[in-house]
Amino acid sequence: MTVKIQQIDDCRWRIPREGDMRTEGLVFADKRMIAALQQEQALEQVRNVATLPGIVGPSMAMPDIHWGYGFPIGGVAAFDAEEGVVSPGGVGYDINCGVRLLRSALSAADIRPVLARLADTLFRNVPAGVGSQRRDLKISVSEERKVLEQGAAWAVSRGFGNAEDLDHIEARGTLPGADPELVSDRALERGRAQLGTLGSGNHFLEVQEVEHIFDPAVADVLGLFAGQVTVSIHTGSRGLGYQVCDDYLKLMLQASRKYGIALPDRQLCCAPLTSPEGRQYLAAMAGAANFAFANRQIITSWVRESFEQILALSPAELRLSVIYDVCHNIAKMETHEFEGKKRRLCIHRKGATRAFAPGHPETPELYRTVGQPVLIPGDMGRYSYVLVGTQGAMEETFGSTCHGAGRMLSRHAAKKVARGHNIEAELAARGILIRAAGRATVAEEISEAYKDVANVVEVVQRAGIGKIVARLRPLAVIKG
Amino acid sequence: MGGFRLLAHTADMGIEATAASLEGVFIEAARGLRSIIFGETPIAATREVPVEVRGADSGELLVGWLSEILYLFEVHGLAPADFVVDEITGGTLRGKVKGESFDPSRHPVEREVKAITYHQLNVAKDAAGWWARLYVDL
Repeated sequence: MTVKIQQIDDCRWRIPREGDMRTEGLVFADKRMIAALQQEQALEQVRNVATLPGIVGPSMAMPDIHWGYGFPIGGVAAFDAEEGVVSPGGVGYDINCGVRLLRSALSAADIRPVLARLADTLFRNVPAGVGSQRRDLKISVSEERKVLEQGAAWAVSRGFGNAEDLDHIEARGTLPGADPELVSDRALERGRAQLGTLGSGNHFLEVQEVEHIFDPAVADVLGLFAGQVTVSIHTGSRGLGYQVCDDYLKLMLQASRKYGIALPDRQLCCAPLTSPEGRQYLAAMAGAANFAFANRQIITSWVRESFEQILALSPAELRLSVIYDVCHNIAKMETHEFEGKKRRLCIHRKGATRAFAPGHPETPELYRTVGQPVLIPGDMGRYSYVLVGTQGAMEETFGSTCHGAGRMLSRHAAKKVARGHNIEAELAARGILIRAAGRATVAEEISEAYKDVANVVEVVQRAGIGKIVARLRPLAVIKG
Repeated sequence: MGGFRLLAHTADMGIEATAASLEGVFIEAARGLRSIIFGETPIAATREVPVEVRGADSGELLVGWLSEILYLFEVHGLAPADFVVDEITGGTLRGKVKGESFDPSRHPVEREVKAITYHQLNVAKDAAGWWARLYVDL
């Protein structure tokens, strides 16, 4: 089915309200992106989300939009706390998939001579790929329940990192209201062996260099300088989150029937926010989100150990500290001003990042004058970006912006492009070392498989829903 | 007749399976899932685990069946070799997953499958036999 789309300006497109839609669709994209989008079903998915009860404002999509399950990846939708719904498909399988960025006191030149050893050590110390785990991290079921309740704070209490790390994590690394009793035994089982693991696919651990500073004043506040070594960690709640999503999709299929919610796509199944099913999902989801926060916190600790080991420097000399940690698959209760009134809303961000403006009370004090840091990973061969949130995002997207590059090629197509190339050698020649666990990972994750993230952040900045601060280029990439 | 083919998707992958019977199409879909995870790596059928899943319709049953195979692999380390579907009646599937204990050195994993989705899920019968399509989250 073709979706009607009208250009508003050079980075905004409207899907007009028609049929069962309760609101219009709003897509942030340039002309080329829109042309590519019309080849797949992502725009139809933006339209489908607009049919759900209690949606407030338009059904939105960020420029890294692509075809997802139910909601598109890059989707943002707000639902009224009383009249609206919550949908596991609006969060995704990888609950609180997110990115954490660490700064260091090092320059790229400091690590260049030991980069290969550092990459090997990180690859050894941080489990990546299916079935890989550290033998020295075994937790009991009762301990796992605490992880779900406390998130990153649990990890700190067990000696992974320090209390200051928590100051620079979205929601301080603990979503309130998590209830482990509402997480199935199967989800707990899947999660237990996967705490402190990177996973595979597009997840990664990257040692990077600050390649370019766009906004020196903001970069200074964020503690970034040109040539500096940074580390990015991109992972989520692993099997625990996937299982929570799976379990609650089943419950929501029943709930949608029970509450008479018409679904244009089964994967959009949902329940009223005020219903027992809706509340249960939010409490289980918070548990999975906390597992993800703990996961990134534990990995951070192993990254620090690896640097200390290879560079023979103390923590005080390395100064590997957390700039920020963002969720990009999450549903959160937030208060936003909409049409002149303060409204309590459930904001679904699926492949979208919170981007609160300067002055927002939830932004850490250190960054309050410049806005919340927003971390946008690109692909393993090019670059990633650091942005900050803006007032424009508060006014137009409920404080949300893009989350990454967005895939452009299927895995089949990516493999075809990679055929005949030695990707690892080609990247090494450009100064990027790759260590990957999965056999198909490197070919399927080539740069060409992704949109150029520079175009994505450029649209976001032009639309005023994010401000570019710095570009980071990969030096060593660990993949699952 | 009968078999499976993998479908391209921007971010993930799909499976299309065909067979003369409904049971057969569930087996072919499971072989498709094994192929996404392990490619053509040979896996021996030295262990057998009985499986029972329930679903409101054949689509939900298919998602349940494949999710069970994924769970047995991830949590119980059962690398799947082949599959048996004994019966599908009244919203219940009874079958078996055959395989051996997962050993990463002998069973290199090509891709991690996060979940089996309901996206464009379809199980249908036409003149040529049974047909199913589903997508997995990678």
